[in-house]
Amino acid sequence: MPASDAIMIRNEGAATRPRLPLRRSLSSLVGTSEAGLKASHFRRPWLAAGLLAPQLLILLFFFFIPTWKALSLAFVQVDPFGGTMIFVGLENFTTLFSSPEYRDSAILTLWFTVVQCIATLVIAGLLAFATDNVMRGRAIYKGVILLPYAIAPAISGVLWAFLFNPTVGPLAQMLHEIGFAWDPNRRPFDALLLVSVAAVWKHVCYDYIFLVAAFLAVPASVMEAAAIDGARPVRRFFTVTLPMAAPTIFFLIVMNFVYGLFETFGIIDTVTHGGPAGSTNTLVYKVYQDGFRQLDLGSSAAQSVILMAIAVLFTFLQFRAVERKVNYQV
Amino acid sequence: MASTYVKSITGLLAAGALLMGATGATAADRVKIEWWYAISGKLGDTVQKLISDFNKSQDKYEVVGTFKGNYEETMAAMVAAYRVNQQPAILQSAERGFMTMLNSGAVIPVDQLMAKQGYKIDWSDFVKPVAGFYIVNGKPAALPFNSSTPILWYNADAFNAAGFDAPSDTWQGLEKQLYALKEKKVTDCPMALPGDFQWSLIENYSAINNYPFATKANGYGGLDTEFVYNKTGVVGQVARLKKWVDDGVLKIAGQGVAPISLFTSGTCATIINSTASHSGVEADAKFKWSAAVMPHEEGVDVKNGTIGGASLWAVKGKSEEVQAGVAAFFNFVAQPATQEWWSKATGYVPVTNAAYQKMKTDGYFKDHPTREIAIEQLSRGEPTDNSRGFRFGNHNQSTAILIEEIQAVWTGKKTPQEALDSSVKRGNEILRQYEKLHAGK
Repeated sequence: MPASDAIMIRNEGAATRPRLPLRRSLSSLVGTSEAGLKASHFRRPWLAAGLLAPQLLILLFFFFIPTWKALSLAFVQVDPFGGTMIFVGLENFTTLFSSPEYRDSAILTLWFTVVQCIATLVIAGLLAFATDNVMRGRAIYKGVILLPYAIAPAISGVLWAFLFNPTVGPLAQMLHEIGFAWDPNRRPFDALLLVSVAAVWKHVCYDYIFLVAAFLAVPASVMEAAAIDGARPVRRFFTVTLPMAAPTIFFLIVMNFVYGLFETFGIIDTVTHGGPAGSTNTLVYKVYQDGFRQLDLGSSAAQSVILMAIAVLFTFLQFRAVERKVNYQV
Repeated sequence: MASTYVKSITGLLAAGALLMGATGATAADRVKIEWWYAISGKLGDTVQKLISDFNKSQDKYEVVGTFKGNYEETMAAMVAAYRVNQQPAILQSAERGFMTMLNSGAVIPVDQLMAKQGYKIDWSDFVKPVAGFYIVNGKPAALPFNSSTPILWYNADAFNAAGFDAPSDTWQGLEKQLYALKEKKVTDCPMALPGDFQWSLIENYSAINNYPFATKANGYGGLDTEFVYNKTGVVGQVARLKKWVDDGVLKIAGQGVAPISLFTSGTCATIINSTASHSGVEADAKFKWSAAVMPHEEGVDVKNGTIGGASLWAVKGKSEEVQAGVAAFFNFVAQPATQEWWSKATGYVPVTNAAYQKMKTDGYFKDHPTREIAIEQLSRGEPTDNSRGFRFGNHNQSTAILIEEIQAVWTGKKTPQEALDSSVKRGNEILRQYEKLHAGK
């Protein structure tokens, strides 16, 4: 996809010089050195192998070996120190599937991931749209929005937990004063809301960077044509900018799902510890709790295998269902 | 291009080798003994002081202490390290991980180690509730180190303002006092819920009131033990706590703030927390504070509470000279003088009778009466099968389940009975899983 795409752009690029999204301009750069050849062609195979090696090594150590470990542990029950091990077949899985706590956690994870994905995209989209229309202090505006991304998840989690702590948190006090019985220790919805907001806040910046780039890449000529036809900014946004940014949005949907499923761990650990009563205990946090806190390695491994299957399935479905509707051509 | 990379990489490697060689040379004259511990803050500072005192006391060994996170995190680090043969020589492990360590096959029983290295430790001198927990079949499995028990801390100014001299010794009496504190507007937070409430308000509550927590003498009698706390006074206790939470008498600190700091800051008037909070409370509380034994139910035959805290385990797979160093360090820790200093500096109970008697005859408890409460609470009544302690395989797991289920009571999702029934059922599955894995141990 990127290669043919790049070639296509090069062919027509010189005349109109549209501002290209980052990915495409990169692939066109790679292509220029060996005109007429595929972008991925190398004359010296060892160079290609050398360039690939770091990525392959990372995959080997951080994906294939852990996957193998998880698979080998998922069908056994084992003493944490490895002294005794019993093969139990599918028992770890059947126990999980018959456990209401695990089902609750799965439903919660789905809810959390979907809400987080949509909320992040919408807010980032609004901010990016506004960026196009902010004239004065644009750099400051961008800087402020990007700040949360520079804060470590654990630290931002502690801050959120403290600010909204019902006993000592200043923002919780404000909520109490205006009549909300805010208490994430006792009201599962409050806890879920708090981690969702914290997770969205942390991830908006990521989506924002990509969306700003994508919106800027919309050719000025098209926008001007739409303006001449009488479309106002909001209309131009929905009928021109959004469809043209569709590939980026699709990419962000996938990334947001990955983020929601796997990377919100630090925030949950610091904001709620998965509580109260498991109401914010997402699947990935449960893997950590059961494996690293409770040392139930068999069940934890089985859970990570399930999680891996879910991630593969989701990505596949997204590519099948959504990508077909995405038009990569400008 | 490539050759400059190669050069700089070999340069880096050489520099690294030099560095390693350098540190290796300075440490060569002393045998390094790695110790992973799990207590932090002021207690962590005291651990470092203990280590440097030991290192100064002799010139053969150097104990290197590393804080590895809380008890669970330290245990997880140990498990990961052990599997790749990178384990420390000494591990501090909490009472909840006792069975895991005992049956791990990764430890050397402490009496074996000491006997082999030629040290004599009078194991009968350890105070009863501590010895009762760590001695298995007449032999100590680990060296009792920091032992604690939960006591009732209270803000004496607040109690006086509400017209009380001291907290009542029954839950019924305490309830009236806490509600009075709120009604008289002395405080908006009569009591804070401790982070380890399952240890103090459930397990210790069960022991003190002589309720069975599980069959087979709470697990002392075998791995086929089963939880039964859903059929005892614990149900009423959870219902009481739920009522207090609903009425704003008992506050849950939640994430982002340590429950004990709600007490030391004066926000909450009482908290039932470990006696090891002494060093922190003494330093931070700017009001007249005191402490008392944990309350009991009206009309019960009051028993001893159970210990918490941790012990030191000698880990397998270390060279003979490292083991000798571990034994030397253990011997140093077990000295009455060290015990006394440690107890005074931290608030943990002195674990040997020698240290306790010395503190007593020196009049230490006259000047620091709250320091003796824990010992008093640990030695009330003649211990029964219900109060001796808890020995459950994978106790961390069943504890996590108990906490989760009680949180479902706070949220109103379950009644106390429903929650405890479910907790017992899930907990028993954990016990059976452990039994299956460790059959014959």
